[in-house]
Amino acid sequence: MAMYLIWLRVALVLYGVSSLTVIPDVLTSHDRWRKFVQPVCVSAFYFHLVALVEMMRLTHHWVPASLHEVETSFALLLTITFLAIYWRYRAISFGMFVLPVIFLLLLVPAAHPDHAPVSNQWMHNGWILLHIALLLVAYTLLLFSLLSSLLYLIQERRLKNKQIGGIFSHLPPLDTIDQIAFRTLVIGLPCMTLGLLAGSLIAQESVGAAYFLDPKVLLSIGMWVLYVSMLYVRRHTGLRGKRAVYLSSLVFLMALTVWVANQFSTVHRFAAP
Amino acid sequence: MNLVLIGVNHKSAPLEVRERLAIPAARLEDATLSLLSVPCVREGMILSTCNRVEFLTYQEPAQADLLEFIRNYFAVDTEALRPYLYEYRASEVVRHLFRVASSLDSLVVGEPQILGQVKGSYTVARSIGGVNSTLEPLMQRAFTVARKVRNRTSIGVSSVSIASVAVDLARKIFGSLQGKTVLLMGAGKMGELAARSLMHQGAGKIYLCNRTDERAAELTEKFSSCSHAASQSGASPSPVAQAIPYASLHEVAATADIIVSSTGSEKPIFLRQHAEIYMHRRKQRPMFFIDIAVPRDVDPEIDRVEGIFVYNIDDLQTVAISNLSNRAKEALDAEAIVRDEVERYTRRMHSLDGVPSIVALQESLEEVRQNELRRMASRLSHLSSEQMRAVEQMTRSLVHKLQHAPIQAIKRAAQEGDRETLAVIQSVFDLEHHAKETENVPAAENIQNASPPTAMAAERNNESAFVPAPDATRPAGSGSKSAPKSISEKEDCLP
Repeated sequence: MAMYLIWLRVALVLYGVSSLTVIPDVLTSHDRWRKFVQPVCVSAFYFHLVALVEMMRLTHHWVPASLHEVETSFALLLTITFLAIYWRYRAISFGMFVLPVIFLLLLVPAAHPDHAPVSNQWMHNGWILLHIALLLVAYTLLLFSLLSSLLYLIQERRLKNKQIGGIFSHLPPLDTIDQIAFRTLVIGLPCMTLGLLAGSLIAQESVGAAYFLDPKVLLSIGMWVLYVSMLYVRRHTGLRGKRAVYLSSLVFLMALTVWVANQFSTVHRFAAP
Repeated sequence: MNLVLIGVNHKSAPLEVRERLAIPAARLEDATLSLLSVPCVREGMILSTCNRVEFLTYQEPAQADLLEFIRNYFAVDTEALRPYLYEYRASEVVRHLFRVASSLDSLVVGEPQILGQVKGSYTVARSIGGVNSTLEPLMQRAFTVARKVRNRTSIGVSSVSIASVAVDLARKIFGSLQGKTVLLMGAGKMGELAARSLMHQGAGKIYLCNRTDERAAELTEKFSSCSHAASQSGASPSPVAQAIPYASLHEVAATADIIVSSTGSEKPIFLRQHAEIYMHRRKQRPMFFIDIAVPRDVDPEIDRVEGIFVYNIDDLQTVAISNLSNRAKEALDAEAIVRDEVERYTRRMHSLDGVPSIVALQESLEEVRQNELRRMASRLSHLSSEQMRAVEQMTRSLVHKLQHAPIQAIKRAAQEGDRETLAVIQSVFDLEHHAKETENVPAAENIQNASPPTAMAAERNNESAFVPAPDATRPAGSGSKSAPKSISEKEDCLP
C-alpha cells in the first residue's frame, strides 16, 4: 500500500474527530472544545499536506488532474482557508460546515488509489497548473463566501428574534461575517479571472477559435459575469442578508454546473486515449 | 489549621453597617499592620470592598480577640455590630475564601472585579509581611480555584446589567466598537449609562441630542470631561462628544451606528420611514437602536427593516434576566468545583498535620537501628568493609519495611482527621516521648544526626512545593520598625 494512503487515512480520521468536536464548540456557550479542535485540525492539515505531496510525487507530475487529486487538493485548500479565517477572525463556526465537507471529499481518495489514466501531454504544462490551481482557489473562496452569507443570515435572525444565548451563541459578529463574505469574493475574483484566462489560452492553442462554442466554456464565461455582477452589487448597494445568500447561492450553483459540464465538453478532456 | 475569618458583607449587614467598617485603599496597609499587631495573630489580611469587609487571620493559638481589634480600630460598639458579623474557622475559612475569590459570594454572582480586589488586598498584606507560610498557599490556591471556575464554567461570560447587555449586543453586531458612532437621544440616566459604557468600549464619536439645547450642551460637557479623564488614564482613545440641534436629528442619525434613546416623549421619535432613509444612505450597513424610553421612542415597526436591530427596555431586561439565570445554573457547577477544591486543600492540610508524627517515627526507628549496630560493633569487627555495607543495607531495608505500614496509617488518619488513631500510633511507638527527647537536643546536632529517610524526604518535598519558605515571601523591608512582629517576637499567646 502506498504511504500517501496511510497519511491520508490518518488525516481523514483527524478530520472526522475535529468535525465532531467542533459541533459542541459552536452550538454551546462552552469554549473548552476549542482547545481540542484547533490542534486536531492542524495535525490533520499536516498529514493531508504530506499525503498530497507524496501522491503527486508518485505520479511524477504536479498538476492535480485525476479526480482523487482534485478532491484532495480542493479539500486541502478548504482546510487552509478555514485555518486562515480562524486565525484572523477567531471564527470557528465555519468549521461546523467545512470540516465535514473536507471529511467527505477525502473519503474516496483515502479508500483506494486512483487508477483513471490521465493524458501525459498536459501534465507538464505550466498553464494547466496555473489554470487548475487558480480555479480551485476561486471555488474554495466562493464556497466560503456562500457559507459566510448563510452564517450572516443565521446571526441576523438570532439578533432580530432576540435570541442571545444557547445554540450558535458563539457565531462571529455580523460585521465580521460580512467582512469575510466580501473579502473572500474580492480575493477570489482575480483567481477566477486569471484561471479562466489561462484555460482560454490553452484551449486557443490546442483547439483553435472553435473552443469558444464549447458549453463548458460558455458556462464558465457566464459564471464569471455573474461573479463580477455579484461583487458589483454587494460593493455598491451594500447587499446583505437574504438577498446576498440568494445571489451567492446562484453563483455557486453556476460554478457546480460548470464543473458538471465537463461531461458535455469536447475541449475540456484530459483522459488518456 | 488555626484560620479565623471575621467580617460583614452585603448579605449579613446593611450599607450603614458596612460603611462604618469600610477601609479606603490608602488606609489598607495601616489597617493590616494594626491587625497583625493583635496578640496571637501570626498572619493576616483585610479585604475591603463596597460589599464586604473581612479580616482573615492565621492565629497561634486561635485566641486572638478580633472584636477587640474592630472596637479599637474603628471606634465602634461591637455589641451593636455583633448580629451582623459572621465568623468562620478552619476549613470554613477555606471554603468562604474560595467562594469569594470565585465570585460565588458576590452580589452579582460571577462579576469579575472581586478577584482583582482580593489580589489587591493580598498584595498589600504580602508587602508588609502579613502573608507567609500559611496564608500564602491558601491565597495562591484561592486564585487557582477562581481561575478554574472561570475556565470551566461560563459563570462570568454573559452580562447582567442593562448597560453591559447593550454593549454585548453592539459587539454581536459590530464586533469591535472602535471608531463606531453613537447618538444619545434624550437625557435619561440609564441611556447616559449605556452610552458611557459604549464609549468605554472604544466608540469613536458621540452625538448628543435633546429637545432643549442647554441640556444637550450640559451632557456634552459631562461626556467631554469623562472622555478626557478616560484618555488620560489610558483606558481608551478619547471619543469626540458633540451636541447637535434637535432639528438636524434625522440628518445625523443616518450616520450613527448605534442610537441610544431615552427621552420622555409621548410619541415615537424614530419612525419606519426614517429608518428606511437611514439604511438607504448607509448602503445597508447595520444599525442598532437601544430604546430605553417608556413610552418607546422607537417605532416597533422599525424592527422589520432589514439590517436594523431594535432592543427596547423589556428586551434588554429579558436578556439580562436570562443571563442571570444562566449564571445561577453555572454557579451550581462552580460550587461543585469549590467543594472539591476545599476538600482537597483541607485533606492536604491534615496530611501535613501528620508530618511531625512520621518524622518522629522515622527518627525513633533510625535511632534503634543505630543503637543496635553500635551495640554489635565489637562482634562484627571481623567483617570486611563490603560485608559491613551489606549489614548496613540490610538493617536499613528492614527498618524501611517495618515503618511502611505505620506511616501509611498515620497519613490515612491525618487525612481523615482521625485524632484517636493518631494518638494510638503515637502511644504504641512512644513518639511523644521521642519528640520531647529530640526537642532537648540542640538543633544543629539534631540536623547533623538525622538521616534523610525516603518517605520523609518525599513528604518534605511535597511540603516545600506547597508551602513556600517564609523568607521567600517576606519582603526586604519587613524587618523595619513598622513591620509586624515575627512569630518568635510575639507575646501573650500562651493559653
